[in-house]
Amino acid sequence: MNAQDRPKFGKGVKLHRGSDGRVMLLVPEGALVLNRVATVALELVDGERTIAEIAHAVVEQFEVEPERARGDLDVLFDRLTERGFVRRVPAAP
Amino acid sequence: MSSMREIRPLSLLCELTYRCNLQCPYCYNPLSLQSYREELATREWCEILSQAAALGVVQAHFSGGEPTLRRDLATLVNAASRAGLYTNLITQGTFLEEALLDRLIESGLDHVQISIQAPHAVPGDRIAGAVVHDKKVAALRRVRERDVALTLNCVLHRGNHDAIGDVIAFAEEHGVERLELANVQFYGWAYRNRSALMPSLAQVQRAEAIVAAARERLRGKMEIAYVLPDYFGEFPKPCMNGWGSTFMTVTPNGEVLPCPAASAIRGLRFENVRERSLREIWNDSPSFTRYRGTGWMPEPCRSCDRREVDWGGCRCQAFLLAGDAGLTDPVCSLSPNHQIVVSLRDAVESTELVARRA
Ligand SMILES: C[S@@+](CC[C@H](N)C(=O)[O-])C[C@H]1O[C@@H](n2cnc3c(N)ncnc32)[C@H](O)[C@@H]1O
Ligand code: SF4
Ligand code: SF4
Repeated sequence: MNAQDRPKFGKGVKLHRGSDGRVMLLVPEGALVLNRVATVALELVDGERTIAEIAHAVVEQFEVEPERARGDLDVLFDRLTERGFVRRVPAAP
Repeated sequence: MSSMREIRPLSLLCELTYRCNLQCPYCYNPLSLQSYREELATREWCEILSQAAALGVVQAHFSGGEPTLRRDLATLVNAASRAGLYTNLITQGTFLEEALLDRLIESGLDHVQISIQAPHAVPGDRIAGAVVHDKKVAALRRVRERDVALTLNCVLHRGNHDAIGDVIAFAEEHGVERLELANVQFYGWAYRNRSALMPSLAQVQRAEAIVAAARERLRGKMEIAYVLPDYFGEFPKPCMNGWGSTFMTVTPNGEVLPCPAASAIRGLRFENVRERSLREIWNDSPSFTRYRGTGWMPEPCRSCDRREVDWGGCRCQAFLLAGDAGLTDPVCSLSPNHQIVVSLRDAVESTELVARRA
């Protein structure tokens, strides 16, 4: 994904926060347990915010290097996009 | 307090009814359906769904039999959705008319899985025992047009294995984003018909190459889940992710099973939600605790490195094939009973199929 892409969830994909605080991404054939970085990032996925904005929020919250945050998010979003769980809405022209 | 991670179910399979208008000879439903006629009432299912959510379950799957035969299906989907559960309908699609589909989606349905018997009416309708292929195609189209996720499922066996490429083409043609190619698993009617359903080694090998090529070609467009055939691997599958570790099944009459095929295991008594809560049954019924974890394991599992990878395989298969649910799954090449599987696999000659009936 590019920095200005705005990711959104595919059909049948949603976040679930359990009563114990555990956050999962529920998908058609299962549930993926999310770590803290993925949780913060995916809670911001709404088809409006850009990858750059999401990365910025992660940097703020976890005090990590911007490079590193972008790298982690690229891996996360690539995986989810490949399986159709996240779709990219290209940057407005 | 125990320091062990609490074991909690994530997924609840609601087998609403075993009634069905089709007669697939590969159906894993139990052979004797008489004892399941006293189906749970709507309010009993609603209670089960809210108990499940309180226990940590996050996904409810509605299946059967044919779940759309229950008139209260939309009410149950709604109850699950309001309890915060992800809702999945597993159907063969013959009753998925516009009105029902719209009602289900309004009730909060997240995902629909539709099964076909083959990519075309011939031999699909013969396998199903009814003229239904075109109805399924119409249902697929209806689901595609709506805001709900879709998976297409096709059970593979000797009679349709060679059409695997056509199944993939059918899925592409219908814009399906997720395809589940499920090699027949030998329980219920499928166990009864296993020698006629067993694919040949040549079919299995050919299928693997076709699936690998299709995955490459369709990456990012269609996800293909290919469930390996039961009797062909070197090691068994991690059945249910370990007995009593994440899954629960409730049968039409309220029995709670660790696996949908478990009713085949004679000598194991399953408790009923009409008598005890889901939580009690999950936590300490003998049926759930018996094969949970690794403590029950005999050799060769007990000292095997894979014991927390595949959990010793499938208990139902161990019972059906070797006569004791507490043995290593005979599918495992290390099992002393593995020869049983080898000879079943090699005995691919019977062709007589017995259609499922009520
Ligand atoms: C028992 S069916 C019930 C739902 C519905 N009647 C249907 O057939 O789609 C549940 C799912 O399991 C699949 N299935 C049935 N028998 C099977 C078997 N022996 N092995 C693997 N999958 C099977 C069906 O294709 C369907 O996707
Ligand atoms: S697998 Fe076939 S016979 Fe069994 S419940 Fe589904 S449609 Fe009916
Ligand atoms: S011996 Fe048991 S644990 Fe080891 S691979 Fe076989 S089934 Fe799995």
